[in-house]
Amino acid sequence: MSVLARSVGNAFRNKIRTAAVVAVLAVAIGLALAMLVANQAVGAKVQELNASVGTTLTVNPAGGQGFEGGGEPLTTAEAETAASVANVTAVVGTKALRLQTSTGSTTGTTQQVGPGGGFGPGGQQATVSTNLTAAVDAGTLGNRNNASGSTGTTTQPARTLPITATGIGAEVDSTGKALDITSGTGLGDYSASEAKALVGTSLAEKNNLTVGSTFTIQDKTFTVAGIFDAGTTFGNNAVYVTLPEAQTLAETPDELSTMIVTVNSMENVDSTKNAVQDALGTTKADVTQGQRNLETAVSSLDSVKNISLIAFIAALATAGIIILLIMVMLVRERRREIGVLKAIGARNRTIGLQFVLESLVLVALGSVVGAVIASLASGGIASALIGSNTTTTAATTTQRGGGLAGAMPNGAVPGGGVPGGGFPGAGGQGGPFGGASQLLTSVTASVSPGVLAAGIAAVFAVAIIGALVPALLTARIRPIEVLRGE
Amino acid sequence: MIVVKDLVRQFKSGDRTIKPVNGVSFELEKGSLASIVGKSGSGKSTLLSLLGALDKPTSGDVVVDGVSLAGLPDGKLTEYRRRDIGFVFQQFNLIPNLSAVDNVMLPMEFAGVRKAARLQRAKELLEQVQLDPEKHSRRTNRLSGGEQQRVAIARALANEPKLILADEPTGNLDEQTGEHIIELLSSLSRDHNTTILVVTHDRSLAQKTERCFRLQQGRLTEEVRTGSRR
Repeated sequence: MSVLARSVGNAFRNKIRTAAVVAVLAVAIGLALAMLVANQAVGAKVQELNASVGTTLTVNPAGGQGFEGGGEPLTTAEAETAASVANVTAVVGTKALRLQTSTGSTTGTTQQVGPGGGFGPGGQQATVSTNLTAAVDAGTLGNRNNASGSTGTTTQPARTLPITATGIGAEVDSTGKALDITSGTGLGDYSASEAKALVGTSLAEKNNLTVGSTFTIQDKTFTVAGIFDAGTTFGNNAVYVTLPEAQTLAETPDELSTMIVTVNSMENVDSTKNAVQDALGTTKADVTQGQRNLETAVSSLDSVKNISLIAFIAALATAGIIILLIMVMLVRERRREIGVLKAIGARNRTIGLQFVLESLVLVALGSVVGAVIASLASGGIASALIGSNTTTTAATTTQRGGGLAGAMPNGAVPGGGVPGGGFPGAGGQGGPFGGASQLLTSVTASVSPGVLAAGIAAVFAVAIIGALVPALLTARIRPIEVLRGE
Repeated sequence: MIVVKDLVRQFKSGDRTIKPVNGVSFELEKGSLASIVGKSGSGKSTLLSLLGALDKPTSGDVVVDGVSLAGLPDGKLTEYRRRDIGFVFQQFNLIPNLSAVDNVMLPMEFAGVRKAARLQRAKELLEQVQLDPEKHSRRTNRLSGGEQQRVAIARALANEPKLILADEPTGNLDEQTGEHIIELLSSLSRDHNTTILVVTHDRSLAQKTERCFRLQQGRLTEEVRTGSRR
């Protein structure tokens, strides 16, 4: 019989005790693994937050945001200036348009119309005609907004809401977030003027559009290259074209509605914001950042990560102490056996190996059951940790996200309730702010093989030490002391 | 050849100092069969432990084939026990959850003997000590005292040691099996040049050994014998 076979046999000498030991170990190991998984999941989410919205700045024309304010439009030259600032890794320009469904009397010219003119304020956005129908009905909010600016006694005709069209310089939405294209492809070269478009899912459904279908903007035929899902009803009532194409449609070839500036790390956001502001000038551009609020969110996630790490270490230490105590008990019970093995010529390392293997058998069983427990419990534990630690932060960020829309005066927005940051070009703050709580609570824990292996390896390492120490301490004494003691 | 030089082993028991072995000296030729008799508590088992390197003497030395045990580190003493010593304990000291054959294979496993070879030898040894083959695979905690005694003797013979130290080897055996074990030990001594030292209360067993020592109050004296017992 080999040492391994002997150790496995020894592990099951007392089946009831073995079952109890395995159960206790399984709980400790399961908790340790669940905490490790939660730690990894939160860590990944922190990275995702940092990578997605945590390091972007939004540049608007000084004194203007979306439909509000005034000032001079941004230009491609200013985008190049921003790109040359230290720590800036990318600058994406956007050009916003409003598409109004053609009623048959379209003039075919671009309109810059103000409040009371039927399309709401013009601001930086050009209004052009299209054969598309908006996927969002005007409803109470849309008609109320439409009524603003009138005498209040005149009955306004039922109206069709405009569609948001944005020219983009990269495959991102107006807040800098990567587009989720559910069918078809992107637009390819976003720096070229091409008659291709990406259409939101609800707009495509409303107009029976699929990849390859065509529609018109300002009498120009566009082919649907892809369909995207923005995740919101408002966001899916939109069209994206390449930046040059939007500039051509708006007849403002050099103008940008907004710029999304990406900074190389969160630590550099503050300094880079100031540098971009200085480079563009305070009279030319307003630079805003979502990072400061997200810092709070990330900080909260980091604390959850730390809590889960501490809990992992504590659970691991508990598992180690359990193993140590069990092995101390087993070794004490079998001191005579150790003495006999020594008397017939067993080396200390052979005795140590036998007890280590015996403890590993127990730990292996505990790990299997613990891994099952972890796979069932880790999601719930991660959600519980996130939920209890981010309630305040999430509430704050959500309120801020909604605040931009709420701050807009009645009648300013031509259409039904704009969630979060309103139309693209409204500062780009609504997206990151409003999405922060969603990002925080969307931490999903899953047991990856690597994490599982690392956790179990740590438990096994503790088990080896826990078994080796008492076994070797006993093996070092003279055999007769053990045999005589019995 | 085993040379024991002025061996002393003392213990503290409260304020008292006990010397179960107190200045023991003797020599045993290779292949000799000897016995030690004495009352309970006279130090017979302690002396056997010192000879088998299970314990270290307070003073004095045991020299085996020219090698002093007093100067050997623990690792070398383990090697000495594994290679040169076969121990038959009074309480058998078998591993209870292992089978008889597994118990006999243990010393060979520690000595690095291949599995097939040690299995074959273990079975042969169990047959030599007349253990029913049906009980070879039975756990030793399910064997009778006499059967366990035979397994313990077989285990002591496993690595063909130079010196067999047996503490009451026939104490739990019936007369016929006891006779057989005595004959087995005699043949090992005679045919394989194995030195055998037996501690016993059994006068008839002691009478069958070449030399007989008496241990009294920690001191060893040799009984004078006449004629050969081989």
